Amino acid sequence: MDKVAIVGVAQTKYEAEKIDQTYMELVFEVVKKLHNDLGITNDDVGSVITSSNDFNDGRTIANMAIQDAVGTVGKSESRVSGDGAFAYVYAAMRILSGEYDTVMVVSHCKCSEVNQYLVNNTIFDPYYQRHLGLDQISSAGLMANMYMTKYGFTEEQAANVVVKNRKNALNNPYAHLRKEVTLDEVLNSPMMAYPLKELEFPPFSDGAVAMLLTNKELASKFTDNPVWLKGYANCTDAYYLGHRTMTDLIGLELAAKEAYKMAGINDPVKNLDVAEVYDAFSVHELMSYEALGFCNKGEGGKFLDSGETQMGGNIPVNPSGGVLSSNPTMANGLIRLAEVALQIMGKAGKRQIADSKLGLANGMNGICSQGNCVLIFGGE
Amino acid sequence: MSKRKDKEKVFEIKWKTDLPYRYSIGKLAVKFFEELKNNKKILGSKCPKCGKVHFPPRGVCADCLVEMTLDDMVDLSPRGTLAGFTVVNYPFVDPNTGGMRPFPYGYAIFKLDGADTYTMHFLDEIDHTKMRVGQRVEAVFKEERQGNIDDIPYFRIIKEEE
Amino acid sequence: MPKNDVAVVGIGQTKFRSKRRDVNIPEMIYEAAKMALDDAKIEPKDIDAIIIGNMDHFEGINFSELWCGIDAAPGYLKPVVKVATGGTTGSSLAICGYYNVASGIYNKVLVIGWEKLNEGGATTGIITAFDPVWERPSLAGALGPLALMANTYAAKYGITPEQAAKVTVKNRSNAANNPFAHLQMPNITVDYVMSSQMISYPLRLHDCCPQSEGACAIIYANEEETKKVTDNPAWIQSVATAHYYTFGTDTIMFDLPSAAIASKEAYRKAGIKDPVKDLDVAEIYEPTSWSELSWTESLGFCKSGEGGKILDEGITQMGGELPVNPSGGVLSTNPIGATALVRVAEAAIQVMGRGGKRQVPDVEKALSMGFGGSLWTEILILGKEPKR
Repeated sequence: MDKVAIVGVAQTKYEAEKIDQTYMELVFEVVKKLHNDLGITNDDVGSVITSSNDFNDGRTIANMAIQDAVGTVGKSESRVSGDGAFAYVYAAMRILSGEYDTVMVVSHCKCSEVNQYLVNNTIFDPYYQRHLGLDQISSAGLMANMYMTKYGFTEEQAANVVVKNRKNALNNPYAHLRKEVTLDEVLNSPMMAYPLKELEFPPFSDGAVAMLLTNKELASKFTDNPVWLKGYANCTDAYYLGHRTMTDLIGLELAAKEAYKMAGINDPVKNLDVAEVYDAFSVHELMSYEALGFCNKGEGGKFLDSGETQMGGNIPVNPSGGVLSSNPTMANGLIRLAEVALQIMGKAGKRQIADSKLGLANGMNGICSQGNCVLIFGGE
Repeated sequence: MSKRKDKEKVFEIKWKTDLPYRYSIGKLAVKFFEELKNNKKILGSKCPKCGKVHFPPRGVCADCLVEMTLDDMVDLSPRGTLAGFTVVNYPFVDPNTGGMRPFPYGYAIFKLDGADTYTMHFLDEIDHTKMRVGQRVEAVFKEERQGNIDDIPYFRIIKEEE
Repeated sequence: MPKNDVAVVGIGQTKFRSKRRDVNIPEMIYEAAKMALDDAKIEPKDIDAIIIGNMDHFEGINFSELWCGIDAAPGYLKPVVKVATGGTTGSSLAICGYYNVASGIYNKVLVIGWEKLNEGGATTGIITAFDPVWERPSLAGALGPLALMANTYAAKYGITPEQAAKVTVKNRSNAANNPFAHLQMPNITVDYVMSSQMISYPLRLHDCCPQSEGACAIIYANEEETKKVTDNPAWIQSVATAHYYTFGTDTIMFDLPSAAIASKEAYRKAGIKDPVKDLDVAEIYEPTSWSELSWTESLGFCKSGEGGKILDEGITQMGGELPVNPSGGVLSTNPIGATALVRVAEAAIQVMGRGGKRQVPDVEKALSMGFGGSLWTEILILGKEPKR
């Protein structure tokens, strides 16, 4: 693949409620940070791709609210309505086309301005599913239950995903929840959708993330450690929950296979140094281990128990704390990418995995991994 | 008539839901509404770099990509010059209330004295023959103000005689 | 230099109507998608990616692409991405699809724009595009600001309502030659337009675009795949986007600055020096009749203030030097999420010589334009030859 690199990343601190900031100010904070860190001005940015969601922002054409903040008066901006990882892909395509030298990607989300369950319910079609009051919580419960029935996992295994990620977040100054939880605390939290309990779901967060992409020729101008795209794939599973194989993340699995092929990865646990995986709920991470080929089908819980996905293991998963620690929904995928980029750049501070040369990040759209984007990044 | 209604029953599902939002308005808007409510003042924001005065006040100057803060807020005149006008004369559901917005109503684009940007608001005239680009307009303030945009329910055309 | 040349190899449109009671959303979209696939003679399984979009709030469906991209298009186990930018949605979709292929990542991409907007409320939805504190309380949908634009334009250049009405007459009689167009009025007169109800001074009912339901699909392919499926493609010669202030009315709006910026860039990239001479047809986005007069100026078709003049002189009529909107334009058909994509489809149809009764003779280069948001513009230039 031709070369496209991430050369700089900026994040806001993720918080429950950034009540003092308009969307304009929230996005400007992260854009200004990125410009300052890279020593660039708006003139150095060729075009901008943003990601946001109209229902979440309570604003049709949600990107209209942030034009001034991303500096696109008289310039090109386009918006992917969905997870930020997909905006990265569009931005990378603009670089790979040769028509732009630099593209900035920005994703923003405030969960605090609207009831997230209502917003999620609007994903379901109004003919058959919406009236059932389905949302991300009930769907996750269904999925966890079916996965448990087919493969079995213990409550402790699922809860330990939360313990791991919440502990990791202590090292991440941007994370929303920076307080450890014990196994007992997770197991004793109120049941939300059997078999999933309250602490097995992420919080709702506000925040924004931005990054700058460039090509092979210019990368060294911005940084000594550009983060190159090595593999990419995008796979969408069926829409109706009843049309899907709810016991396995098929879309994620197919996307991962294709991305690995592109990146020349045949043993992900050996080849990858770090992974930032979209953990929408505890069991979701266990299922993701299997879909990403880290372990065999049904062995996600065992793989967690093995310690391989802990900070010191062979494939640390979510050193940032993951979605379980910070959940500005639309920005989650781009945050996964940003965290892997920081790892490869060696700029991940206390959460740095030593010698990170190859990392995986994935973004997700819709309910229970319907839309999946898997990206492999490398330092060389 | 009833045949059509029967058909609609079969082919359509109705869906109505309230989706309430709590929008953050930002520090500058908070100050704007405080001054509007307490002192009948209209404030804009001035870019510290290029000096452009923005109305409504906002946190970023788009031309310079520079932040505007509370310190950058400036007084504006309640008077301005009409740059364009219309009389809205069609029914639609107002997303702010969920009901129909009353019409016809006058709607204008004008520039307040002291501001460098144009802005739009209600005008208290529904006869377009009485409006002209270049007329002077003035904000009308409510006596009892709550601290929202409705404290200026409309602008009025300053008659030539005044 | 772009990595890959990109061509339109298949086109599908539904017959646009005020209400499509006979189909639900996926069924409506499927009509256009199937038509495009059949047109390109490409198997659904051979499509590499789906780019699909609409304006969420109009139908009240979040992440609509995850439903329609799978149930109405061959998106199952494929990439499905939504690009949604308001009125420019259709052109943003077209531009995203272009980059999907120009980047070399995908070879055959299906792009779909759609709207079933009478299932929700368009004006209500449009109002929520604007700032909740400052703009929404008084804003009257899209027509309020467009009326203000018409008013300031008329005041600046002395343009008359008759000149604006002539645009509607031109476009809706052009639409009679377009089997897909919503409002086809072969016998429309200036009197008819000027005696219609005043909606928002100076806009009368027939100065405004309708609200239509329908879908439009185009299929892009790279050079290699294009050769396999057709010897009559329409190549994308350049794309350009220009956005504007969040408060689009920060500046006085008697013209469209973003159209001037985007068109200059698109012309430069496509080697166009004089648009009236070098272009053979233009499908522009005119939400009102007054908009076409003003924005043909911003697009560089004539000097400022002369939009009415070039219409009167017949330059933008069928048979003129640069016919504008032989399809009938937005004044005849407006399914918002699809509208800008229909402009691209119609421009491609012209280049391919498949325009039937609405065909402009000998089209080598065509312009398509999208408009929306806080006064943004997107331009795609299509032509018989690839870029390189």
